[in-house]
Amino acid sequence: MTEPQTNTLRGEGISLSFGGIKVLKDLDVEFRAGEITGLIGPNGAGKTSLFNCLTGAYTPQKGNIGYAGNSLNGLPPSMRAAKGIVRSFQHVALCPDLTVRENVMIGVARNHHSGWLNAFLPLPRGQREWAAMAQDANRALADLGLAEMGDLMPDALPPGMQRLVEIARAIVGNPSVLLLDEPAAGLNNSETSDLMAVLRELASNDLVLVVVEHDMDLVMSICDRIYVLNFGELVADGTPKEVRENPNVVRIYLGSDDD
Amino acid sequence: MSDTFGQRPANASETSMLKQLTSGSLPTLALIIALAFLPAMLGGSWTFTMGLCFANSIGVLAVSLLVRYGGEVSIGHTFFTALGAYSVGVLDAKYGLSLFASLPLALLLGVAFGVIFAWPSRNLSGIYLAVTTLALALAVPEIINNLGGITGGYEGLYVSTPIVSFLEMSMQRYYFALLMLVVATYLVARLRKSRQGMLLLLAKTHSAAADAFGTRRVWARISIMGISGGIGALCGATLAFSGSTVSPGGFTFSQAIFLLVGSVVGFYGLSLPRVLLGGAFVTLVPHLLSASGAWIPVFYGIALLSMILIGHHLPRIRKAMKLRKEAG
Amino acid sequence: MSAFLNTLARDLFPLVWSGMIVGCLYALGALGLVMIFKCSKVVNFSHGNVAGFTAFLVYGLSSGVLMSLSWGAATLLAMLCAVAIAFLIYSIISPLVFESDLTSTIATLGFGLITQGATLLIFGPDIVSLDLPIPRFAVSVLGLFVTGYDLTVLAVTVITIGALFFVIDFTKLGIAFRAISENPFAAEVCGLNLRSVHYFAWITAAILGVIGALLIVPTTFLSVTTVSTFMLQAFAAAVIGGFASLPGSLVGGVLIGVLMNLFAFYVSPEYSSTFLLGIILVALNIFPNGILEKVGGSRV
Repeated sequence: MTEPQTNTLRGEGISLSFGGIKVLKDLDVEFRAGEITGLIGPNGAGKTSLFNCLTGAYTPQKGNIGYAGNSLNGLPPSMRAAKGIVRSFQHVALCPDLTVRENVMIGVARNHHSGWLNAFLPLPRGQREWAAMAQDANRALADLGLAEMGDLMPDALPPGMQRLVEIARAIVGNPSVLLLDEPAAGLNNSETSDLMAVLRELASNDLVLVVVEHDMDLVMSICDRIYVLNFGELVADGTPKEVRENPNVVRIYLGSDDD
Repeated sequence: MSDTFGQRPANASETSMLKQLTSGSLPTLALIIALAFLPAMLGGSWTFTMGLCFANSIGVLAVSLLVRYGGEVSIGHTFFTALGAYSVGVLDAKYGLSLFASLPLALLLGVAFGVIFAWPSRNLSGIYLAVTTLALALAVPEIINNLGGITGGYEGLYVSTPIVSFLEMSMQRYYFALLMLVVATYLVARLRKSRQGMLLLLAKTHSAAADAFGTRRVWARISIMGISGGIGALCGATLAFSGSTVSPGGFTFSQAIFLLVGSVVGFYGLSLPRVLLGGAFVTLVPHLLSASGAWIPVFYGIALLSMILIGHHLPRIRKAMKLRKEAG
Repeated sequence: MSAFLNTLARDLFPLVWSGMIVGCLYALGALGLVMIFKCSKVVNFSHGNVAGFTAFLVYGLSSGVLMSLSWGAATLLAMLCAVAIAFLIYSIISPLVFESDLTSTIATLGFGLITQGATLLIFGPDIVSLDLPIPRFAVSVLGLFVTGYDLTVLAVTVITIGALFFVIDFTKLGIAFRAISENPFAAEVCGLNLRSVHYFAWITAAILGVIGALLIVPTTFLSVTTVSTFMLQAFAAAVIGGFASLPGSLVGGVLIGVLMNLFAFYVSPEYSSTFLLGIILVALNIFPNGILEKVGGSRV
């Protein structure tokens, strides 16, 4: 057992409710850097809500969220993004007016700061910035097997590829925390194995990688640690082996005919 | 393999300006050249009207930009055109200053008031913002008339200070408007290939996604209102110089709606030909129908409706025809 | 102290009273806008122009310009006309309504322009005066000067709104209207016809518009712009009421009427539109969901 790592994303006692309906109930979670953490559970278990709390889209009524020892409470999503906390969306959220490459370039935009003059005039700094962003985007696209798709519009791609583009957008900016919401939904087998290879490669010492996923094969094979949620409560956590053998988890998944 | 992909955009960006002026926009370039020679073929009064047409095209551009990059509809852009026009009018008529002084002031005021308006309305969207801009448009004539000491009230101001000494004034009025239109459409075309432009577009379609990547919705709203306000003021400044007079009649609520109609007629396009189409509509319809004033609103209304209905029904009709063809 | 009370009685109460009266009319206009917006999410920018056109029709039909009918017959005919216009407008834009509310809202601007032009073409740009048989008397109640016009407006407003709420609460169409306003998808799944409810809302709104326009005319002359200007206040009232709340637009109307009156008297009558813009901006920031709604959290 190593020392508790500093670059850990922590949620303590998170409770969230919408108009009396409790979505998350006093959750304690810890996502360590260098590991891939899986977040599983039936539909409506609160997985996406937990993501939304971590990224700041929702404000939990109770509880603390912290990264690398610093509290994130009260920070809006854009400020958390500036700290390198990045997510993908359950429903593909690409901009239809931008090409695939440009959509991915959005992921590195936060690292660039050229002023408005560069937006309107072909000044060297803006040009350099654009070229650098395009280069990063091309690399990320190539990693996911989408090298040829850069100039297409997102609508021209099948849904599985759109999802990969979104993942490319999330990973391109070298995030420190990466939250992927059902990254494999709609992907075919070869796309899924490409994705798994990329995720394994990404899982480095300083990246916190969390995956919400219904594809059990994917979760069991790439995750180092798994949290199981049901009705907003933590049912089990541990290694894939421990979780697979946990009777509570078996009951949830056999008890519901969901996935 | 990945090296070649790394190099391609770098090359592309170096040549992008050249590309934009050649391959991508050859028809636009031809159009600009044709417009540059137009005064030689037209009489004085038509040259004057075409100058106004270019100026109004800039206004149409400002409205369309807000739709395209902000996803919002404004029926109050006369507020910004009035700001620009009166900056030029007042500095010219009261202080004898030329556009070199008044144009920067107009732009500054346009951007500033765009931002000032965007802040209290930052949380409004769709019809709520549209109604607020409606109130903005209705406040304009009132403000102009009540500040008669500066604005000249109902009578307005006359703009007569030339920019350069070597060109006839009527030619200056024409070419200045053309130049401003070309510059404005060029700047807006550049925006599409910039970081800020991409972020604005994402914020328009998926504000939650934009937020998750570090772009606040409020930033997007304030930025696009500032830009659109600035271009609106540029339209006003050009109208003042090329139209030679500034009076409240040019900034009525109807005029605000006409700018929106022009934008719809150009299908919210931002390219030079599209905004020119919208601007021509805004300028030429009243010009051609000037003898029968009551027909102007009717004609605008019909044009607006038909463009919207064509935009709605045409793709469906085409699809049905295609299906029929394939079946037969 | 008594001097202060005296000025209150002399200025403030009459101002509030007359503001309330005119506010009732703003509320009638706002109710029409809200009816349409509630069920079809379209802001009807042609509302004021159509109402103005029908006010002119009443004038034209009763004064001999078009016909010389009694004012009752003229009003009835004008109302039928308003209903027909509303029916026509909705029929043309209904394919748009189900696609984009903003596009259909812009389309109503087009109808507004056409109606405004038609008014100009038929009746000309001149100002006319329209005489309605409104009781002419005035009584002083506790220092408050109450005219027959005031009482007529109050009575008509109360009756109209009472009838409207009766229709919405108790008739089949009214219940369908409420269901569709709450949740159009669920209501349609349950077999309610969206289109017929939309027609109901547009036609009701047109009638409310005619009533409002006719009652505003005695305070001013009738011109092409009178009624459409009046409708801006109605827009503001609807916005303050949250644009989707019928009681909210009532409160909004009265509030706008009183505030505008106070502003015109104590500050300046020349900046009333600017003041209105200010009210709208302030109200939308403090009560984004309307004055009768509590500010609540929203789900992303």
